[in-house]
Amino acid sequence: MSVLPWVVAAWLFGVGVYGIATSRNYIHLIGCLSVCQSATYVLLLGIGYDWGAGPPIFYDHPPGTPAVDPIVQALVLTDIVVGATVSALLLAMALQVHKREGTLDPQEIKPLKGQ
Amino acid sequence: MSPKLRPALLALAALAILPGFWRVACALPGFGSPVSPYGQAVNALLPEMRRVSNMVSAINFDVRGFDTIGEEFMLLAAVAGTVLLLRGGRGEDRADAGGRIGGRAIVPRADAVVLICRICGPFTFIFGVYVALHAMATPGGGFQGGVVIASSLLLIYLGEGYGRWRQLVREPVLDAVEGAGALLFVAAGLLPVFLGLRFLTNVLPFGTAKDMLSGGLMIVENAGVTLAVAGGFGTVLLEFMEETRATTSEVADPDDGRTGDRA
Amino acid sequence: MTLLDVLVPFPVVLPLAVGAIVLALGERLPKHAPEALGIAAALAVAGLSAVLSRGALDAGTPVYWFGGWEPRPGVTLGIAFAPDPASAGIAAFIGLLFAAALVFAWGFFDEVRSTFNVLMLLFLAAMQGFCLTRDLFNLFVWFEVMSVAAYALTGFSLKRASLAGALNFTVVNSLGSMLMLAGIGLVYARAGALDFEAVREAVGRAGHDPVIVGGFCLVSVALLTKAAILPFQFWLADAHAVAPSPVSVIFSGSMVPIGLFGFAKIAVQVFPGSPDAGSILHGLLFGVGCATAVVGGLLAWSQRHLKRLLAFSTIGHIGIMLTGVAALSPVGLAGALAYLVGHGLVKGTLFMLVGVLLAEKAGVDELNLRGLGRDIWPAGVLTGLAALLLGGAPLGLLHGGADLVSAAAPDGLAGWAMHLSVLVGTALTGGAVLRFAGRVYLGLGPDPGDEAEAPTDEEQEKADRPLWLMLAPCILLLGIDVLVPADLAEHMAARVLPQFAHLAAGSVAVPPPTGWTAVEPWLALLGAVAVAGVALFRDRVPRILPAAGGMFKPVVAGLNRLHTGVINDYVVWMALGVAMFAAWATF
Repeated sequence: MSVLPWVVAAWLFGVGVYGIATSRNYIHLIGCLSVCQSATYVLLLGIGYDWGAGPPIFYDHPPGTPAVDPIVQALVLTDIVVGATVSALLLAMALQVHKREGTLDPQEIKPLKGQ
Repeated sequence: MSPKLRPALLALAALAILPGFWRVACALPGFGSPVSPYGQAVNALLPEMRRVSNMVSAINFDVRGFDTIGEEFMLLAAVAGTVLLLRGGRGEDRADAGGRIGGRAIVPRADAVVLICRICGPFTFIFGVYVALHAMATPGGGFQGGVVIASSLLLIYLGEGYGRWRQLVREPVLDAVEGAGALLFVAAGLLPVFLGLRFLTNVLPFGTAKDMLSGGLMIVENAGVTLAVAGGFGTVLLEFMEETRATTSEVADPDDGRTGDRA
Repeated sequence: MTLLDVLVPFPVVLPLAVGAIVLALGERLPKHAPEALGIAAALAVAGLSAVLSRGALDAGTPVYWFGGWEPRPGVTLGIAFAPDPASAGIAAFIGLLFAAALVFAWGFFDEVRSTFNVLMLLFLAAMQGFCLTRDLFNLFVWFEVMSVAAYALTGFSLKRASLAGALNFTVVNSLGSMLMLAGIGLVYARAGALDFEAVREAVGRAGHDPVIVGGFCLVSVALLTKAAILPFQFWLADAHAVAPSPVSVIFSGSMVPIGLFGFAKIAVQVFPGSPDAGSILHGLLFGVGCATAVVGGLLAWSQRHLKRLLAFSTIGHIGIMLTGVAALSPVGLAGALAYLVGHGLVKGTLFMLVGVLLAEKAGVDELNLRGLGRDIWPAGVLTGLAALLLGGAPLGLLHGGADLVSAAAPDGLAGWAMHLSVLVGTALTGGAVLRFAGRVYLGLGPDPGDEAEAPTDEEQEKADRPLWLMLAPCILLLGIDVLVPADLAEHMAARVLPQFAHLAAGSVAVPPPTGWTAVEPWLALLGAVAVAGVALFRDRVPRILPAAGGMFKPVVAGLNRLHTGVINDYVVWMALGVAMFAAWATF
């Protein structure tokens, strides 16, 4: 069973990408992007997990008790900030597009055409 | 690309990635038995070296404090970007009152909602400050506390309505809080430079473990993060809420805007 | 601690601090203070990075441990900056480009002046951090700060096209950053470290290891997405064509190229010990680089929207740089770095010159603007010069870089494939820009008649800025590119590269010039002039030439049709790109 967390991470990323590729609404698409982001949380936290170890906070138990890897937890905290910032920007853009075009369908909101 | 081609190509890509993924998954260190010396070294060394009990905070504010500066300014950039992207479009004819959607019944705010918000608002605010203050001892920290503080502002909106909310939550104040928080973090980093040490070197007394005021310079950095996050998320909430304002013509309505249609 | 050591964090910290001050004071600052502060900070950053580069050249690369967290035996705890001469030199060039873009933008953003300047300062700081850092996760953090600032700046004008371009840009690049973080996670799972040195040792010990290769592939995909390498390039034209001109200058001149720079850096500083990563770089990415050069050139040639034209030409030039990196020879790497700076100077200038057209003539459509540029002829002279430089004229820094890239070509068929694709890419992009200069500023070419109907929205940029103020930074940047002698690139290669790529001093030997290196720039230039000439004098050249050009029309039309502007398609292409890496690494 030791590959299960990695399978879960890959699955989350995969369904997120599938959602983005088939999405017809930008709000839904932004949600799918957050699903992809969650895959990275699962992967990082999975990498640092240790059977039988406690949290890396030595308040209730003394320093020296086995604890999981705190580095990946700090990385995930930064990752969450990344997710929040990108979502805020995307939602602001989607809002403005909807106000101007009255639609959120990515296939109708097109940038400049070539040639 | 036709709608049917996209899933087909995705499936093809997935097929090509699958064998590679499986090899990586099998070669990764087994789940639950990490091999990283980095995290274990932090767990072993930091409680003694910095007298803090929360290792995640110790990493965010001391060992990898420079990452957190980047993270702070990423938030700053996102907030500035949201302000930039949501400007205009709302027009100048907006009043400081909430908008209504035409045809939807107006249900007056229940007394219970007002009461609960008035009780929970200040409590949530204080809880946010508590979470932020005890960053070095217990789970939490400036980022988490700042977000809780910013969301307590939303309870003002919920309990008091849009007009009062706008009176109490002012954009220039939030900007100043956010900028000052970011500057405080940078200043904390520069202090040791003036003492001839490396940027972000922890030069203040560390205090005692499990104490609110342990960790030396980390306390200052944590305060900076709290201010920057609270101000930043406050600004984002404000910017998005501005989108719901009513136009002046709606408010000038004899029915106090309650039946105003929005095109 | 020497004085040089003290300076190391300031290229990042200075613009961050100025940005926070501008934000905190907001509208209380006097009218042009945010702009003036921004320009001063950019110039100071350029100076600081130049001093660091020079100092590292003389005294070796300093390693600056933040918080004083020097490595302990067996474990590296902290984050370090390592400004080697090449990285700090690129950082100094970025500072200069920002200063030029901000001068060009003077008065452009009056309506949102402090917000715009805050974003530009954070953008600048992030690029400095990205260039100077020696830590994988710190690299990711600055990469992401850079991205967030760029996403917001793209949508600035709030028109339909710019919002759509910004959405595409944000979604594709965010997916890229997630893959990068996953890749860093894999590397961390195996190496238990994030510091470049520590990871390099672990990678060397691991040998053939799927986890390391997986990490390398994922991090590469993210950086190559930023660098707009095939098939991750779709977002670029949408975003660059709609961003405000001063921002496009930064995008094409530095943001996209340093994506490739970051890739080159991790390839030589982190993964040199992995044979599989070497095979991906030398095999797969060498071919991809050649393809990118040709496709970018063809697409640029086929555009009439000038910003889109320049955007596609950037893709072609990045492809040329990638072939230099993938040739796996120190000379090619040095060539790619010199090319990066030269290209940034010339392409930055060109985006400013198109910005001049947008401000003065309210248009960027080549056919619409035919002959309208006569009264701003100084801009025309500069455009012509920039076109010749882009087309391979044997002059200046860009040529020096191209020369080194060409010298690094492997023997045999692969080498000729590389020469040919570089030649085609250079000639087509140079020719396309030359054609637009001839049409807009000289009124050459057949009268387009009804065809002149622009396919795009109204897109004027703020008009009442003095012409000399907009042209001054163009002259400065082009002047620097022309005045730096081409052989300086070769001298610098031998001195700068050993510290960048961890080679022994004196081990970088530039091969003696062959007949081909003397002929190549002239061939490219001839090709560029021919491409422009055929388009502009269709009626007066032998009929066989336009007919030969017409043969490529279906191919180019097909390529253009793939750029649908629909995010769903772009994500599918990205998945196919990842599959390409996975398949190469597995089989």
